[in-house]
Amino acid sequence: MDETYDVIVMGTGLKECILSGMLSVSGKKVLHLDKNTYYGGESASLTPLDQVYQHFGKPEVGDKFGRGRDWNVDLIPKFLMANGQLVKLLIHTGVTRYLEFKSVDGSYVYKGGKIYKVPADEREALASSLMGIFEKRRFKNFLQYVQDYDENDPKTFKGVDPSMSAKALYEKFGLDANTQDFTGHALALYRNDQYMALTSLDLIKRCRLYSDSLSRYGKSPYLYPLYGLGELPQGFARLSAIYGGTYMLDKPVDKIVMEDGHVVGVSDGKDTAKCSVIVCDPTYAQDRCKKVGQVVRAICILNHPIENTKDAQSVQIIIPQNQVGRKDDIYVCMVSATHNVCAKNYYLAIVATTVETDNPEAELKPGLDLLKGVEEKFVSIVDLYEPLDDGQDSKIFISKSYDATTHFETTCDDVLDLFKRITGEDFDFSKVKHTDVEAVGE
Amino acid sequence: MATGIPSFKVILHGEYGVGKSSIFRRFMNDTFTQATGKQSTIGLDQCTRTIDLGSQNVKLTLWDTGGMERMSFIGSSYYRGAHAALLCYSVNNKDTFSILSQYILDIVMNAEGAKIFLCGNMTDQLGPEGSEGNAVTDTDLDQFMSQCQDVLSGVYRVSCKDSSGLEEMFRDMARVLHQDTMSRMTMRRDMIRPGDTPEREQTTEKKRCC
Repeated sequence: MDETYDVIVMGTGLKECILSGMLSVSGKKVLHLDKNTYYGGESASLTPLDQVYQHFGKPEVGDKFGRGRDWNVDLIPKFLMANGQLVKLLIHTGVTRYLEFKSVDGSYVYKGGKIYKVPADEREALASSLMGIFEKRRFKNFLQYVQDYDENDPKTFKGVDPSMSAKALYEKFGLDANTQDFTGHALALYRNDQYMALTSLDLIKRCRLYSDSLSRYGKSPYLYPLYGLGELPQGFARLSAIYGGTYMLDKPVDKIVMEDGHVVGVSDGKDTAKCSVIVCDPTYAQDRCKKVGQVVRAICILNHPIENTKDAQSVQIIIPQNQVGRKDDIYVCMVSATHNVCAKNYYLAIVATTVETDNPEAELKPGLDLLKGVEEKFVSIVDLYEPLDDGQDSKIFISKSYDATTHFETTCDDVLDLFKRITGEDFDFSKVKHTDVEAVGE
Repeated sequence: MATGIPSFKVILHGEYGVGKSSIFRRFMNDTFTQATGKQSTIGLDQCTRTIDLGSQNVKLTLWDTGGMERMSFIGSSYYRGAHAALLCYSVNNKDTFSILSQYILDIVMNAEGAKIFLCGNMTDQLGPEGSEGNAVTDTDLDQFMSQCQDVLSGVYRVSCKDSSGLEEMFRDMARVLHQDTMSRMTMRRDMIRPGDTPEREQTTEKKRCC
């Protein structure tokens, strides 16, 4: 502990571990601490199942739901976009070698009390019962336009000004409210309707990310690691260690030592480790954060797959806010033994949304109803924090809490932004050489 | 992935400073360094080598710990999908030997079904007969082996410094791992038993090569 480092990272959540890895690779001397006895912080996968019961203050159940050790339960549900930023980071850093992924079976969207497969290409759009016959034609034209769009070739804009709003673009293609709903929320993956005022370019890029991700491995645009998301921070921690990073778990931090308004070290009560930069999650610097909202999540154990998904062994369902009279979408992520996260014949579904009322659990009802009976349910309401400042003066760089989105794009945005603030440089994605994650099995 | 050559993930395990990275380096490019401490482990990650068993080529991918065991835990992710663990100790440091049962527990918990091999390193530093001091004796080893008879698939003694015993060890591990998969595949053909099939030990005699 009693040494000098360039950077001290506190908390082994995914964001902190990615940064620790990237900084170690860039030649920084890194000390990485965690107050917990396990890696992952909030982005850990708990195992065995009894650890989940303990975490939520319930009596242990042992092997009631198959072998307890077969369970790896994520606290925060998310999937990786096959062509998204996290996959690029995994590839660039070589961390893919430590992990194995499988694609997620299905991507569904909720409309009028029922769920439908998200149509992502022209053929699926024409076959989908999500839209009427004339609307299908219009949606097909929209998808074609998005597919042909090239940011660097104004000819492909076909007269559309890239700064035109998303709403105006929908109107240009004559898409009705329903189609706008699933395009914006199930394809472009916006959390609420504020994007309508953003540029059409943003909408187009997000739709492209979905279709490019889909075309990679087939069934859905999403990937998920075997043994749960907790493998991700560990992979990046290994990267950091291999490039010289030092790891200490079970290390409570007494205080952050400041001098002239900027950080100079971290003390555990006895020793002080010196550093010029700190990276941490909000729990290590509560006084430098503000609460910006809440997320409610229900982790559910099922003994059957979700209805109307063709018995998919892993699936995402998006309930667009308009469909259930809300401001924010509700997300359902389900995984199973095919991803080595639960015992055979069981399914693990997490329903989540941004809290809007003072009865958060009730807000999940449309999602929970889709599950048709749960064996066990763990509900948590967590506060979301953001740092008060950008860390430039104090040199304490704090990550944001994990939001309700079901993929890692906002997570990576935060990581890349932090990296830039810490080092003064952008992380250069063009260095990525090969672009294939080894997906295993089906 | 599907290259046709059977391929096995082998993780190095054991106390900090027993020479895991030295074994790794011998495996990787048959080199040795006197340097010690965290610095010497930097950059060592994983390495794959094809071993010719005469009738068959077998790939071993050896994983180093990245020094994470120094002040912390290695994390479950390291163990995932490991076919074998090479459990290392220093033959002249009893402490690194006595703690091994703890490591075996970790391996059994985190890498189900992985074969465990035992490797005593630094045989070049053993003093003459009778001057054992803190050294791990044959009696210690025999006792340990009788305690975990069914757990160990091979026991070796090596010196990374003078490179004795290493090639034999890698080859023997490859042989045992390959034989084990072969026997399991035969069993799958022969038996119709849903669920788990108990593993029948074929000709994997436990031998000490030192």
